[in-house]
Amino acid sequence: MSDKRSMRLLVGDNPFHGISHLSQERSRARGNAVDNAEYAAKLVMTALENGADGFMFSVSETTLSILQEVCKKEIKNLSLHAIVPYAYEYVRLATQAGGITGLAKKIGKQVIATMNVKAIVTGLKGVVRTDPISLMKAYMLYEISRIRSVTRSKANLDSVMLHEIITEVGLALNLDWFFRSYIDFMWKLKIQPGFETRNFAYLVRKFKEWDIDFRKVAIVTAFNRVGFQMNPSKIECEKALSTIPESNVTAMSILAAGYLKPPEAIDYIRTRPNLKGVVVGVSKEQHARKTFELLKERLGS
Amino acid sequence: MSKSSRGILKVAVIGLGKMGLLHSSLLSVLPNVELVALCDKSGMTRRVFKSFFRRVQVNDNLEDLYDLNLDAVYITTPIPSHFPIVKAIYSMQIARNVFVEKTLSSNYDGARKLYALAQASGGANMVGYMKRFAVTFKKAKELLNGSILGDVVAFSAYAYSSDLSETSRGSRASMSRGGVLGDLGSHVLDLALWFFGDLQVESAKLEAVSDLGAEDSARFRVRGPNDLKGKFDITWCRKEYRMPEFGFLIQGTDGIMSVNDDNVELELHDKKPHKWYRHDLDDNVGFLLGAPEYFREDECFIKSILDGINMEPNFYSASRVDRIIEQVKNEAYESN
Repeated sequence: MSDKRSMRLLVGDNPFHGISHLSQERSRARGNAVDNAEYAAKLVMTALENGADGFMFSVSETTLSILQEVCKKEIKNLSLHAIVPYAYEYVRLATQAGGITGLAKKIGKQVIATMNVKAIVTGLKGVVRTDPISLMKAYMLYEISRIRSVTRSKANLDSVMLHEIITEVGLALNLDWFFRSYIDFMWKLKIQPGFETRNFAYLVRKFKEWDIDFRKVAIVTAFNRVGFQMNPSKIECEKALSTIPESNVTAMSILAAGYLKPPEAIDYIRTRPNLKGVVVGVSKEQHARKTFELLKERLGS
Repeated sequence: MSKSSRGILKVAVIGLGKMGLLHSSLLSVLPNVELVALCDKSGMTRRVFKSFFRRVQVNDNLEDLYDLNLDAVYITTPIPSHFPIVKAIYSMQIARNVFVEKTLSSNYDGARKLYALAQASGGANMVGYMKRFAVTFKKAKELLNGSILGDVVAFSAYAYSSDLSETSRGSRASMSRGGVLGDLGSHVLDLALWFFGDLQVESAKLEAVSDLGAEDSARFRVRGPNDLKGKFDITWCRKEYRMPEFGFLIQGTDGIMSVNDDNVELELHDKKPHKWYRHDLDDNVGFLLGAPEYFREDECFIKSILDGINMEPNFYSASRVDRIIEQVKNEAYESN
């Protein structure tokens, strides 16, 4: 067909963390194989060999091990799109460390352990002054250094997205000053800043109100035929997307967490103007190959 | 008191942990609500929140809330502090509409007293049993209300998480969270009381995994109306449950139904089984943070204040959960 769209195709990491938004039973049924770094790296490689342009992942010990395995292979210029913080891990750590104060101390120790002088100095400034901007900068430097320590020169860290929990809280509390500082800081590091959200229509409205340039940010959000996790509604999200042709929006949950089959999911994505990419997680080798072959054929460049 | 002339409710949140941040954020996007104050004992937490909530008063003392003419207060502090704080809110007349994160109190006696205070205040009250606002459990309740299973004869319920599956022996994490019954089990107890009506505990067993005296797993049997038999299995030590999961298998004279956070499955005699996923049940909300049920819960509480109608899960229904928890503990200790 001649109406093929040219989209960025990314392989995602949800199955490697045991996440299925369709049912927890399904993620348990996948077993432990997908959180084995070598096996997961093989899936990422299969996706890359069959049409994926890059890897989108939450920064955690699990994904860093996978990335380390991927970088042992014969690859060049792998495009990486990181999401920070990995909220689940931090909630879990807070539970074990005795709440938010215990968690803050633990992260502080981890930052110091990296010996990243810039991160340590910025972080100390943030703690002494209770300055959220300095703390954010220190934290970003810490996460970026974690990624680069495993990828070395074999991959390009193209974008770093704020995890949906941070994005949604920032939107709810009208933290335009925080988002602006984050965007400016990331551009100084020559990395595209991004936002993961499940309140896409709300984000578009707020960013317009705050005069944030959509060309300068990446957004990853749910788009699928059944409106799964498209808040407040599928129609509102579609309308919002149609108003920002200049944006860089990557669709996630295109299969509605396994509720849709890839062909019908792709048919819907093809009808959405202004989407620039899709991210899809895979849990089996055959699944990785077939899905990305199809995505490349129907959506890829 | 005081809904402002603009028809906007003035609300404060006490306790700035994970749940305090979640409710403060959701209240900030709800129409008809103005978040005016936050309160927490920790100086470091107050400083951090002050830097993000720039137009909101952040203080450490309940008395500072008195002059604010509040319409409602959210209490998201640790469970043992619920009783003294809610009592103070009512006795100091800080607000007559009160939301408390679950459980209402740390014992049944406290819960009953708080219910009496709430009755006397005449305001709306709610306890954070948000699973009632999950589309799958709402669907199950709707089906049960329509007697789709005929007479319900038995059920089994579970609440599992891996929260403490890797906690080493001697850890205080279990104790600091008040035990698995109040923390994780209270949700499934509230759902059971909502689905089936009053329950009486017949036998119970509690297990300590992390520390001597901790309550990490609970198994118990109950009896309900019309000789209904039920059993519960609750633990936060199951490794494979990355996210907490709650579920029921319900058996009736006309078939069986299973329901959990993700889906509802109905198998009636001589009919094809039917399964509904969240996707099929209109799960979108005005603003998603954490899970859709949190938004619906806050929206419902605010609406109940504006409409002057006390909605469930309120202090009365929550006191029934505290009663069952107490029964389970008593039964387990007696049988030990």
